[in-house]
Amino acid sequence: MYTYKTGISLIDEVKGGISPGSNVLILAPSMSSGEKLGYAIMRPQEGEFALVLTTVMRSVDLLDFFSSEEFNRDAIGVIDSVTKLSTPDVSDTTQVKYVSSPSDLTGIGIKFSSLVESIFNGEFPPSDQALFPPPIRFYIDSLTTLLMYRKLEVLYQFLHVMTSKLKKMEAIGIYILNNESFDERTLSLMKQLMNVVIEVKSEQHGDFLRIRGVPGAPQEWVQFKIHKGTLEMVA
Amino acid sequence: MIRTGITGIDEMLGSGIPRGTRVVFSLEPGVEGRMFMMRTIASALSEKKNVCILSPHCTGRVFISECMEILEIDILKLGGKAVILDSTVRESINSREKKVTSRKLAWKKLIEETLEQHSIDVFFVYFDLLYEDLGLMKALDLLPTARERDRVTTVVEHLNLEGDSLISRFASENIFDLIISIHSAFTLVPFFNFFTLEYVSWARIPRRSIPYTVAGRNIRLYIPKIIITGPPASGKSTFVSNASDSGISVDRGDLDGYRTTVAMDLGWLHFRGFDITIFGTPGQPRFDPIIPQLVKNAMGIILLLDATRPDRFVRAKELLDLAHAEKLPLVIAVNKSDLPHQMDEVTIRKVLNLRDDIPVFFISALKRPDVHYVVESMVDRITRHPY
Ligand SMILES: Nc1nc2c(ncn2[C@@H]2O[C@H](COP(=O)(O)OP(=O)(O)OP(=O)(O)O)[C@@H](O)[C@H]2O)c(=O)[nH]1
Ligand SMILES: [Mg+2]
Repeated sequence: MYTYKTGISLIDEVKGGISPGSNVLILAPSMSSGEKLGYAIMRPQEGEFALVLTTVMRSVDLLDFFSSEEFNRDAIGVIDSVTKLSTPDVSDTTQVKYVSSPSDLTGIGIKFSSLVESIFNGEFPPSDQALFPPPIRFYIDSLTTLLMYRKLEVLYQFLHVMTSKLKKMEAIGIYILNNESFDERTLSLMKQLMNVVIEVKSEQHGDFLRIRGVPGAPQEWVQFKIHKGTLEMVA
Repeated sequence: MIRTGITGIDEMLGSGIPRGTRVVFSLEPGVEGRMFMMRTIASALSEKKNVCILSPHCTGRVFISECMEILEIDILKLGGKAVILDSTVRESINSREKKVTSRKLAWKKLIEETLEQHSIDVFFVYFDLLYEDLGLMKALDLLPTARERDRVTTVVEHLNLEGDSLISRFASENIFDLIISIHSAFTLVPFFNFFTLEYVSWARIPRRSIPYTVAGRNIRLYIPKIIITGPPASGKSTFVSNASDSGISVDRGDLDGYRTTVAMDLGWLHFRGFDITIFGTPGQPRFDPIIPQLVKNAMGIILLLDATRPDRFVRAKELLDLAHAEKLPLVIAVNKSDLPHQMDEVTIRKVLNLRDDIPVFFISALKRPDVHYVVESMVDRITRHPY
């Protein structure tokens, strides 16, 4: 079975990576490296694809960020829920789809399906796919925003549907949530949908992460750095 | 009467949606089903109706641009009057009124005034955020009441995150007069979408599911694959060719001069609002290895027998097994019944061990009306099949 490398040696060395159908939740305070960590885990490896739902950055800025971090942009599709708020007339391309706002779950679901369909149909540039089903990493940046627009129960039901789709596609999901701004009930409901939880904290001398849900992986805080979109663990 | 503007659906409903009824398009997450509502909006506006669109999820400006993107039509230029209650209305109500009951009252008042003031004929509602803000019952209360009903037709779109239970509730509590749910078969590939006519209050129409594609900015009812199989020389190529508006056969002349199919017959037809593709299999056993591949994703099977060749029953049975026909809608057509023959329905049912509900027709594939009759029966069975 295909496994998805995370770049986190604690996971990759113990389990060879993350298995298809898994969901990874990153819990990070604001102003930490949580988002960057999310993108580092989302980063498509050789032969893989990545889809990202952005509720924070406009897709143009996100694509610039991917370029500067040397991501393979050809393998990435974006659902942009930000741009239409200011520029209603932008239109979709093969790899960038727009929805009216982060509250538009109908639109998000549709654009997700349409991107997945394009990948399966070989319409993304590296069309000589070697792997079937094509491995896909799906990243939601961020649940924090979605929860500001929609009720917890509704979002839970929506994510429940999304995670079961990811499972059928043998893809993985990555999600980031600001754990400082929500109550225990929100956190525990969101965790129910997840297999792996990565907590992030920032301290004066660097950023740290801690892993939950990977049997055999060490559970203590370890320091990490992100360089050119790639994760490095500090020994 | 307003029309959905979708060929096939209006016909099925008996020319459209009666005035004063309530309609819901219930979308499963991830399915491009927004076109059902948008087509209906465009259709009402083209018929010069006054419409009110409640779109609390986005601004009117964004809504117009989404219609433009999906329909390639500027809905404001269709002739009818459109009043949009958009996200700014919701924001103002939500910031002004903090209690659910007062929010509901504010909406109710605004909606009643708008419907009245603009003599609205059709009220289109994007329901999800109302449901979320007010709860299901209070949100449903906002839809025009029985008193106003003979004037205003209400059409609702919502994203169904609760599944079948919500739909049965809508039907059993008479909340809507027409319920159409929209789904996808999210298998690996290909993706196909279908809608289900769940409930219609004004007509006796059985619950039925119909695949569709989005083509040319419209919904096209779609049957991607009907298989015609049967013993050699039973008339499959003749059937496909007479069923189709256009098509091809991959045939080769045999040593003794007969033409036989070596790969498949392929035909396309447009029939009763459906786009249909028909695949004929070869009949000769030497091509059996390709049959499982051919029948993959088939939606229905027509088995063609030759009325003059009862000795070919064994082969017919083999082909049914190869095509996994037991899982799919099946129709039996006994061909060449224009020639003298002894075959009768009882024997056929017995030998092939057919379920009672599988129809057996005696036809001649040389006659187009016969062929279309069989296709029609197949389409009818496919649309009633619970996918
Ligand atoms: N009299 C009569 N002849 C028919 C009828 N249908 C087909 N035929 C003839 O039967 C012969 C075989 O027809 P095809 O359509 O080639 O049969 P097929 O099932 O495609 O044959 P294979 O591809 O070899 O399996 C042809 O000569 C047709 O003209 C019919 O309804 N009546
Ligand atoms: Mg033939």
